[in-house]
Amino acid sequence: MSDPNDISEERAARYLEVQNSQEFAELRKKFRGFVFPMTGAFLAWYFLYVVLATYATDFMSQHVWGNITIGLILGLLQFVTTFAITMYYARWADRVFDPAAEKLAEHMERGNLQ
Amino acid sequence: MNLAATAGNPDWGLIAVLFVCIVTLIVGSLGLRLSRTTSDFYVAGRSVTAGWNASAIGGEYLSAASFLGVAGIVYSLGTEMLWLPVGYTIGYLVLLVLVAAPLRRSGAYTIPDFAEARLQSRPIRLVSSLLVVGIGWLYLLPQFQGAGLALATVTGAPPATGSLVVATVVLANVAAGGMRSITLVQAVQYWLKLAAIAIPAFVLLWLWLRQGQPLPTVSQPGGPFAGAGIGFQPREHPVYATYSTILALCFGTMGLPHVLVRFYTNPDGRAARRTTVIVVGLLGVFYLFPPIFGMLGRTYLPTLPDGTRSDSVVLLLPSAMSPGTLGDILSAVLAGGAFAAFLSTASGLTVSVAGVIDQDLLSGRLNRRSGGDLPRTHSFRLATLVAIAIPYAASWLTPSVSLADTVGMAFAVAASTFCPLLVLGVWWRRLSVTGALAGLAVGGISAIGASVATVVGIGGSTGRGWIGSLLAQPAALTVPLAFITAILVSLATPGSVPKNAARLLVRLHAPEEVTTGRHTDT
Repeated sequence: MSDPNDISEERAARYLEVQNSQEFAELRKKFRGFVFPMTGAFLAWYFLYVVLATYATDFMSQHVWGNITIGLILGLLQFVTTFAITMYYARWADRVFDPAAEKLAEHMERGNLQ
Repeated sequence: MNLAATAGNPDWGLIAVLFVCIVTLIVGSLGLRLSRTTSDFYVAGRSVTAGWNASAIGGEYLSAASFLGVAGIVYSLGTEMLWLPVGYTIGYLVLLVLVAAPLRRSGAYTIPDFAEARLQSRPIRLVSSLLVVGIGWLYLLPQFQGAGLALATVTGAPPATGSLVVATVVLANVAAGGMRSITLVQAVQYWLKLAAIAIPAFVLLWLWLRQGQPLPTVSQPGGPFAGAGIGFQPREHPVYATYSTILALCFGTMGLPHVLVRFYTNPDGRAARRTTVIVVGLLGVFYLFPPIFGMLGRTYLPTLPDGTRSDSVVLLLPSAMSPGTLGDILSAVLAGGAFAAFLSTASGLTVSVAGVIDQDLLSGRLNRRSGGDLPRTHSFRLATLVAIAIPYAASWLTPSVSLADTVGMAFAVAASTFCPLLVLGVWWRRLSVTGALAGLAVGGISAIGASVATVVGIGGSTGRGWIGSLLAQPAALTVPLAFITAILVSLATPGSVPKNAARLLVRLHAPEEVTTGRHTDT
């Protein structure tokens, strides 16, 4: 475990340089641009289900096939979407975010931040 | 707890429970042999792969509420309650996206560690430690009660027996093995639990198809199922209660003492992400099964015997569907699985709570008294005893609250205290020491107060009326209250913002390779 207080002046200067660079700003923008809409969309879909389950009970208990109701199908879809979004986020982070962060790190090492 | 019903053949149930306890102890002692050094004892040597780690997280997380409570709630309220198991997994998504990576970069591995590092303040550390202990105890309580319920349902033993068995096994395991063995135990527990719920579910589904019995209306407008037993409170203000519960689940998971610590055993960010994906998958697969018991229960158990909690539907169903040997075997398997759930969650919580009691409340004092020659592991063992004894004693109080609801309170307290601390600590530069303390105090006192009032059952009408609903599901009020308090007080006390806050935030948000990794340390 490294001690978070142990930041030398030279290192601190380097962090500030990173934070002020345009590349780092773009990286953070990339993160927000992906995570915020995705989280919003997912929460909207989840809350919609809860509202329907509470208020539109007649709609939710409509039978689609045998004992299978709309509520049951939507409920199971919640499981699927939760997993799909987690997968999607992890893949995005591996493919888009990590390479960008890596590039930033390389640029920083060579001292040619953009 | 008054239990009129007994499920299956008592001997088979007892054998299954004993089997799970013995396997847990054996796996624990195997892990002990693998761990030699003290650092291993505490953080599993950080040598845990994503698959093992994810299984361990799943094993630890699936508690009494998941194994018994979810079925009980679906039985009582219908498939509209499927949002609850989904809610139990969403917290991991929120944790992953909001705080997981920055927290790991902070290098701290418990919430008190993070609080102290971020705010440079001992009082904050102490308050966080006390909260970890409080939340842990609140979460341990229903595990012990669930164990009592399960053992009583399958064997007819008095409820106190099951609690005692779980408390003893956990004490032995944690005190002897520490974290490394617990990681192994937890991983095994997940697969044990999945098998123990999935196999009976498939058998019962097959029986149901063969017997040609209809399913009753799986979702039932206008109130709870007629047969719902005690221990389940129909919501009087369903929308408020639902959203408040969801809020607690979304934001509480990150603040549970036994959850975050597992993320630090990931070697890097990529592994942490992979772990989380696997966790969400493992939890999702598991949560498909408890609702099956709830729904089948509506056909085969139209009413529960007097004095039976709806939480015991899972255990009662096999004998109701197939009296005789098959029913006995399935009941026994389910009882074993339920015990695995109590053991694993209680172990994980105990490790975390004992770690905090040891580090922040005991160690220093003991060392001063003994002149510093006391081995580290001794005080950890003493801390483990304290961590278990108090919630065990509290489990003797008989509450009128369902398992899922009691667990929900632990989530609510975590969401009202640690969520603001972590989220503001990670994302907001101007968080001051005074502001953080005020947020913890306001969120903690209001949420814990509401939980205690509900558990104790103020006025004997738990969960009734607006006041009852607010007290039973406090998160919708207390979480925003804690955030607002922390923000306003921080803005009013700019003097107590730690001096190196800006640097620390850069460190938390800069990519790992830049700040700690291979590129700079040359």
